[in-house]
Amino acid sequence: MERRSFIKMGGASIASAVLGSGLLSWVPRSEAATISKTYYITDGTLTMPDGVAVYFQSFSDATGTLTIPGSSIICQEGDTLSITVVNKLTKTHNFVIAGLLPTDPPLASTGNIASGATGKITYTIPTGKAGSYLFYDNVTSYNRFLGLHGGLAIMPSGKSNQLYSGSPTFVKQLFWIFNDIDPNLNSAVQRNATIPTSFTPRYFTINGQTSLPPGAVGNGDPTKDAMANPKTVLQGSIGNRTLIRMLNAGMASHAVHTHANHMEWLTDRGAKRPTVWKKDILYLRNNLGKIDSIFPFEAPPDSYPPTTTGHFPMHLHDEMSQTAGGGLYLFGAMTEIIFV
Amino acid sequence: MNGSMRFDDGNSVAIWGFTDTAAGQGQMDGMGGGSFPSPAIRVTEGQIVHTALTVPMMFMHTIHHHGIEPSWQNDGVGHISWDVTGGTYTYQWKAAHAGTYFYHCHVNTPLHAEMGMYGALIIDPKPNPNDPPGTKRAFAGGPIYDVEAIWACDEIDPALHTLQWAAGTCGGDVGLNNFHPKYFIITGVDGANSALTAPGIAVNMTLGQTLLVRYICAGFFPQKITFGGLTATIVSSDGRPLPSAVNVTSIEAASAERYDCIIKPTKTGTYTVNIQFLHWITGAVLGTAKTRINVS
Repeated sequence: MERRSFIKMGGASIASAVLGSGLLSWVPRSEAATISKTYYITDGTLTMPDGVAVYFQSFSDATGTLTIPGSSIICQEGDTLSITVVNKLTKTHNFVIAGLLPTDPPLASTGNIASGATGKITYTIPTGKAGSYLFYDNVTSYNRFLGLHGGLAIMPSGKSNQLYSGSPTFVKQLFWIFNDIDPNLNSAVQRNATIPTSFTPRYFTINGQTSLPPGAVGNGDPTKDAMANPKTVLQGSIGNRTLIRMLNAGMASHAVHTHANHMEWLTDRGAKRPTVWKKDILYLRNNLGKIDSIFPFEAPPDSYPPTTTGHFPMHLHDEMSQTAGGGLYLFGAMTEIIFV
Repeated sequence: MNGSMRFDDGNSVAIWGFTDTAAGQGQMDGMGGGSFPSPAIRVTEGQIVHTALTVPMMFMHTIHHHGIEPSWQNDGVGHISWDVTGGTYTYQWKAAHAGTYFYHCHVNTPLHAEMGMYGALIIDPKPNPNDPPGTKRAFAGGPIYDVEAIWACDEIDPALHTLQWAAGTCGGDVGLNNFHPKYFIITGVDGANSALTAPGIAVNMTLGQTLLVRYICAGFFPQKITFGGLTATIVSSDGRPLPSAVNVTSIEAASAERYDCIIKPTKTGTYTVNIQFLHWITGAVLGTAKTRINVS
C-alpha cells in the first residue's frame, strides 16, 4: 500500500483558499446599478501539462495578457451592463451573452468588432433573467474553444441566497467553466491555416486550468493548478451550501461527478427542473450546455464512523477528460472538494 | 483478474477485473478465473460494509464505490486517498441509502475502467416488517418489484485493451483522450446479438409482474436507452429516490449515471431494448446494444 503526499500538499491548498477570495462575492442592493467592465481581446500561448505550448485567445483584463476564462461578472436584475470590448487582434471578433434558454436570442451583443476597433454593450437586465450565462465570441463556431469565453451571473433582484426567486438557498457561489482544447485547431487559427473539420481534444480545463497532482510542477499553485485555485475549489464546512454555476464552453459533453455529497440539481440549460433531484453525476451537454446545482456540504452520509472533514475530488467521469496529451491521468478537468 | 472477452464477431480483447476469492473465484494472483463485469456487491441499507481489496505484485489499483460517500480514507481514489499495491486494504463504509451504485478501480481510470474493472453495487432497503416475506422494494417505501434486471452498458475500444496498466501515467501519448469504441455491451455480454437472449440480461417475465431495471451507464460516452415501446417509470437515480416518479420511453444518460426504472407491461410480447452510444462531441450514434424484455 502506498500513501501519496497529497495530504501535505492539500494543506497548502487550504491556506491559499482561505486567503483567497475567489468565490463570487455578492451583496444585494435595493437600487439598480450600472456595472461597467472593459475586456481586451488578446492572444498568447500557454504551456500544457505535457510541456506543449498552445495558442489561445481571451477576453482579458489588460492588453498583453491572457485571462481564461474572462473575468466573471455578477449583477442583479434591473442593473445596467456597460461592457466595452477592445479588439487587439487582426481579425474580427464579437462579444455575445448567450440567452437564458437555448431557444432564447442572445441577451446582448456588441456586434462585430473589427481589428483595432471597440465594441460596446449597454443593456438593462429585465426581471425574469436571473441565472447563469456564458459570454463568448460567436463570429466563428470555434472561437470560444480558443478561450474567448467567460461567465455572467444575474441574481434575482434583492436576493443574496437564491438562484431564482424561490429556489433552494445557498451561502456561497462560484463558476465552473469547462473547455476542451484541440491544439490542431488552435494552431490552425494562429497560422491562419485551414480550420480542421473535426476535433479531437487533448487538454481539458476547468476555469482555464488543469489539475496538477502531487509531484507535478505547479502543484498547489493557485495560478496554475485547478485543485488549488480558490475560484474553482469547493471549500466549506458543514452547511456551507455552495451554488455551482457550470458552463460548457467546450466541444464535448461531460459527466460532472462530485465525491462526498450528491448535488442538488436546480437547472438544465437554463430551465428550472420541475423537482430537485439529488445526483452524484450531472450531464453537462455540449453546444453551450449549462447546469446550476448546489453542493450541500453535508456530512458524507456513508462515512463510518461519521466525519465532517476531508479532501475529495470533483472530476468529469468521461475519463478521457482526465488526461493531457493522450496520457497523464489526473492532469485534466478536476478540482478539489475540501471539508474543513 | 486478467482474462478476456469474446465478441459475436469472433474477436477478443483482454479484460481486467476484480475476483471474489471468498466466493471461489480465481486465485490471489491477479490472473484468470473471474467474471466480467466483476461480481456484484449486494448489501442491505444500514449495514457497515468492509470491502477488502488485495492487490498482488506491483500493480496499483483501488476500489471506488461510486455514489457511496464515505470518509476520504475509504473513497478509493488513486493519489488522492490511497493506492493499493502489494497488499490488502479494507474499505469501511456505511450503506446509508438504498439504490443502484457501482464500483470501479480509480487508478489510471480511463484505462482501468475501460479494461473492465467494475461491477454493480446494490443496496437493498431493510425489509419492512409489514411486508410479506420475500417482498422486494427498490427503496424503503418504494415500489415493489417481482423481476430485476441489472444492465451495465459499456463501450469497448480494442486499441486501449493492448496497453499495460500504467500506460501514460508518466507521460507520453498513449491515446487515452482519443476513444474509438467498436463494441457495445450489456453487463459483459456483446449487445450485437448475444445480449438479446443471454440469461440474466434478457428479461423473462409474465404479464402482471413488475420489473425493476437498474440501468448503469458504465461507459465513458453518453448513452440513450429506449425500452422497446414500453413506458418506464424512473423512481430513483444515483441512489436517491426522486421527489416524484417520472414516466419516460427513453433516457439519455452521461457516464456513471444510474436510473432505477419500474416497468409494468400491459400486453404480452417481445420488447427490444436499445442502448445507443453517442459520440461526446458530434452526438453521432457509434453503435447500439440490444436486449429483450419477453412478456408471456
